[in-house]
Amino acid sequence: MSAEILYLRVRTEGEHVLLESPSVGLFTHAARNGTALVASARAGTLLTLGRAWELRVPDGVAGLVDGELHERVQAPVGYGTVLYRLRPLAGATTAASSDAAGVGSSAALLFRSPSAGRFWHRAAPGEPALASSGDVIEAGRAIGLVEVMKTFTLVHYQPTGGLPARARVVRVLVADGAEVAEQAALLELAPE
Amino acid sequence: MFRRLLIANRGEVAVRVARACRDLGISPVGVASESDFGARWLACMDDVVCLGPSAARDSYLRMERVVQAALQQGCAALHPGWGFLSENPRFAALCEHYGVTFVGPPSSAMEVMGRKAPAKAAMRAAGVPVIPGSVGLLTSVDEAAACARETGYPVILKADAGGGGRGMRKCFDEAQLRAAFVQASAEAESAFGSGALYLEKYLEGGRHIEVQVMADRFGACVHVGERECSVQRNHQKLVEESPSPVLDAPTRARIGGIAVRAAQSIGYVGAGTIEFLRADDGAIYFMEMNTRLQVEHGVSELVGGLDLVHLQLHVAANGRLALAQDDVRLSGSAIEVRINAEDPSHDFRPSPGTLAAFDFPLDRGPGTIRVDTHMQKGDAVSPHYDSLIAKVIAHAPTRAGAIETLLACLRQARVEGVATTLPLHLAVLDSREFRAGTYDTRSIPGWPASAR
Repeated sequence: MSAEILYLRVRTEGEHVLLESPSVGLFTHAARNGTALVASARAGTLLTLGRAWELRVPDGVAGLVDGELHERVQAPVGYGTVLYRLRPLAGATTAASSDAAGVGSSAALLFRSPSAGRFWHRAAPGEPALASSGDVIEAGRAIGLVEVMKTFTLVHYQPTGGLPARARVVRVLVADGAEVAEQAALLELAPE
Repeated sequence: MFRRLLIANRGEVAVRVARACRDLGISPVGVASESDFGARWLACMDDVVCLGPSAARDSYLRMERVVQAALQQGCAALHPGWGFLSENPRFAALCEHYGVTFVGPPSSAMEVMGRKAPAKAAMRAAGVPVIPGSVGLLTSVDEAAACARETGYPVILKADAGGGGRGMRKCFDEAQLRAAFVQASAEAESAFGSGALYLEKYLEGGRHIEVQVMADRFGACVHVGERECSVQRNHQKLVEESPSPVLDAPTRARIGGIAVRAAQSIGYVGAGTIEFLRADDGAIYFMEMNTRLQVEHGVSELVGGLDLVHLQLHVAANGRLALAQDDVRLSGSAIEVRINAEDPSHDFRPSPGTLAAFDFPLDRGPGTIRVDTHMQKGDAVSPHYDSLIAKVIAHAPTRAGAIETLLACLRQARVEGVATTLPLHLAVLDSREFRAGTYDTRSIPGWPASAR
């Protein structure tokens, strides 16, 4: 039976990198103390309801296993349980968190989220995105959905705070299904 | 009795089930999403397994992770609560397959009743009156439109796997139906993991009356009277009471009997609710069966003087119901209000935040007050899940006494930091319409229609 692959979650703690379980299950075949773990390296097996998942190291990680944290056979773990603590390898880069690509520093026109929640690009799976780069939008145009406490609400373009009544979408700044804070920038706009 | 049990839910229901576990000497084990992990309400659990990221579909709805959590924690049984996976027959079957006792009906009974289209077919076959509409599920928006033309507008779209108003849309013409179809399907997909919809004729007004049943594995089944849940907004119940002010004793006995027979006809086990619509002309139609414990079960517990979660656990562990129908004595009147973190004066806008104050006085008469909640002062109301933060239930010998008790409690309740439905409940309970018991699902008594 060939195992399917799951990537470990990455968190940094000071100079250490923590690799965490991505799911619930029984953890086996842990890499030993002192092993070098780099991107794509095998880092144990997670058994969930009899199905084996091969755990791999995600991109951008390189380090030496610093101490053994877990029993090495069928240790019950949950999502986020720390499986490895890594000492950085000289010259290696640690995982870079995805940043907002420097938006907001310039005088860009930004349309912001009216509430906190989860931002969706389309009205239903398989539907076209409500707003894409290049679209020209006007006041009242639906540009996405925001999901708050399981309720979906259309987000309409409101030209307030100095935004033009008609604008061109330069780009959509938030990934489909990503969490947004209230007033988070959703669209970068240019006057049309 | 079970030694250890996994509670596959969060918040108020998880705390409620954990309390029953403690009463019966069962060790409760909790589950949590990443953002709930570390929440104060989890202190009532002996152990907690983190399932995944905060979105429910990545954590609380991941059935293989939930069952694996039960297995690796040595839990012989699993209580699904309400919502999430509680009405998913595949989940119940998965538990059965791995030898974890699912506290609920057998997956076969859930398959029939948990999905609404087959449930309606079963009831139609059993001679119970049902509302006209689609036979089976809708596969496309065109099929929905064709069905609606046949039934006649207005119609209502409902999520096959649904409950609590999620994925429901009322449509008065074909344009509305076509627009609503995708949104209702997406909402159902997100909330229940299935976007399947069905359609039925929308009966304007009427009253939502449901009967609580409890069955054991040996064919015994009793009902614990009815709950009236007609104070609703967008099919979300706001206030529930028992008994219904609109039923007379013979009707109560009749629908109780129908509910028990319906449950027995499908080999039902555990707690269930048969929902009826009482139309303006007094006719009663089967709407659906909820194959789980309900949010508003506390109302029946107070008038019935019993603990439904104890009984659920007892019958799940192969116990026999010690009650015959004649032993179920309904006494007094109970009224529950749902305190949601929503702003009723701004179109019920969700209002997540941190509770700066959270206090309900329990010593207000003439009746008694029960508060079911998982929150306390200083806790954060999560934006990721349901907005329910507390249920306040009053019980008194008379309906007027229950209203008076609940009003006295709510007037001095302090909830600060988030907007809540408290002002709405004060207006409802104090309204002439509610006091007279003449309200229906069309409008919220005592609350301006524009706020709906």
